[in-house]
Amino acid sequence: MRGARSLRWISVRALIAFAVAVLVLWTAPLVLPLGDYTHNIIGLTFMFMAAALAWNWLGGFVGQISFGHSAMFGVGGFVAARLMLTFGLPSVVGWLVGGLVAGGYALLWGHPTLRLRGPYFSIATIGVGEATRLIATYWSDFTGGSSGLSLPLSSGSTKYQLYWYGLYLLVAAVAISYWLRRSRIGLALLAIKEDVEAAADVGVNATRYQDLVLFLSGTMVGVCGGFYASYQAFIDPQDMFSFDRSISLILMTVIGGIGTVLGPTGGAVVFVIIQEFLLANYSQLYLGLYGILLILIILFEPLGLAGLLLRLRRLTGYRPPADVGAGGLTSTAAGGATEAAVVADRRVP
Amino acid sequence: MREALTLTISAILLAGFYAAMAYGLGLIYGVLRIVNLAHGGIIMAAAYLTWQLFDRFGIDPYLAIPIAVVVFFLVGVGLYLGLVRFLPRGPAGAVQSLLLLFGVWLVIRNIVYLLFTGNDQAIQTAYATSSASILGAHYSVTRILVFLVAVVALIALHLLLTRTYLGKAIRAVAQNPDSCTLAGINIERVYAFTFGLGTALAGLAGVLASTLFAFNPSFGASELLKSFVIIVLGGLGSVLGIASGACVLAFAEVFSIYVVPPYLTTAVGFVLLVVVLVLRPGGLFGQRVLR
Repeated sequence: MRGARSLRWISVRALIAFAVAVLVLWTAPLVLPLGDYTHNIIGLTFMFMAAALAWNWLGGFVGQISFGHSAMFGVGGFVAARLMLTFGLPSVVGWLVGGLVAGGYALLWGHPTLRLRGPYFSIATIGVGEATRLIATYWSDFTGGSSGLSLPLSSGSTKYQLYWYGLYLLVAAVAISYWLRRSRIGLALLAIKEDVEAAADVGVNATRYQDLVLFLSGTMVGVCGGFYASYQAFIDPQDMFSFDRSISLILMTVIGGIGTVLGPTGGAVVFVIIQEFLLANYSQLYLGLYGILLILIILFEPLGLAGLLLRLRRLTGYRPPADVGAGGLTSTAAGGATEAAVVADRRVP
Repeated sequence: MREALTLTISAILLAGFYAAMAYGLGLIYGVLRIVNLAHGGIIMAAAYLTWQLFDRFGIDPYLAIPIAVVVFFLVGVGLYLGLVRFLPRGPAGAVQSLLLLFGVWLVIRNIVYLLFTGNDQAIQTAYATSSASILGAHYSVTRILVFLVAVVALIALHLLLTRTYLGKAIRAVAQNPDSCTLAGINIERVYAFTFGLGTALAGLAGVLASTLFAFNPSFGASELLKSFVIIVLGGLGSVLGIASGACVLAFAEVFSIYVVPPYLTTAVGFVLLVVVLVLRPGGLFGQRVLR
């Protein structure tokens, strides 16, 4: 029975809801008459959702804000593109290998820097992102330099398939999110986020957990980079490694609800809608609009869309469990102590 | 040997500018425990202000310094009273302040972009191309002037912080805000003034930068990083620490031309940052103020 007990954190209701949602999304394009454009955009949105969730594992669950995730996005994208172009590997293999290389790259710089906390880590990641971008731009044998790389595929039926691959990506990301938040690991991550030293006192190995999360996050973002390369059929380092790409992941997560299991997916939808429908005509307002959104959310609703939803549900008399907000920005030190105690409790067999 | 001497003097001239640039960030972090991510944006905005004053009204960049300092002091106080004041203090607010000020940076970039487009701008003064000779090698007059202004600013700041009542209040709040309330210091006012002062220093750095480099709306990202490298290297709390941090960075960058190709010079600072953060999180000189 031990196996069943260790899976107690999985809620059956959530599992069913998830399965239904996936089924609906999987069959939707077969049933509904979506145009090519909508079909492709939804596939791309799935990828953004997965990438935002991956950023949230590190930024939301562990509380280490990374401004350098474009590095893994770019590494994954270019490794995948190279594998497809030079070795003719199928794109799925390319994405997976690219993702793993990106995850390894994340560990390479992350293992030493993750012991820094707060602003120190964040600023170090700006450095990592910028340095990676410089190197990639000048390493033209591999990345094609400023002229980029063109991929042969991704038209017609192949591009049509990307919708489902995007969906699988999203399914994997949601499952990992749920696992990282709800299982015992989730409690360990909360403890690390609240107070690394206190977490270490109750036996949480902060280094190992943070490395694990960063590796997962880097790998997922790398796979997304590969997907994006196939989707666009053309990539160049200035775009893949740009600071704006790191920013976009932060924005999606903050808009949707940082530290929540599903929030970033909502943020990704908002992001794509703004991007495709509003900014197509007013591209010069791009940064300012996001800046204002960021400021407003931080000042008024630090949990973003998820926070708004909670508010609505409270109005209808729903009482959320006490730990719902714990993943967000404003969890208190007292909450952290309780969480750490819970972790300690659970360690007793 | 000759070459090494020339490079040394270049590095010292650069270090002066770096010190002035980093001090604003260090001051705000030291007192409010907030990393002003909008620092780079302020530097960029000040460069544009200087350019406009020069272009439209023919005001020399060095005469524009007082104007920029006053303008950006007010901007800083405004930012504090309008936004930063509402954030929770201490570690709980760290993430929020990062994201909030990052948002401010994006807005500044967008405003400048809307007003002046994304093209590179540069200020061409009459003396921009003239040079002076130090120990047999030639250096451009602008770089020497920038160095002198930076040194004067740092000395003035040092005197302000150590000799005046206000400066002592700022340092006291940096050490222990709670006791300061007991001693009758209006903390909020000190915070607002400090944020203003830090922003004004970023403004000064922007004026100086505008005479040295070409700039566009995304200018400032590497300036923010370098400032951060310097406050990490030098530790907080003293003009001397900042100055030595600036020297270390400037020397590392200037002498790196022996080792790495020129386009990677900017990456030297980042590598230095990561190495120092990991090996000596308290700064090179061992003050364990930072965590």
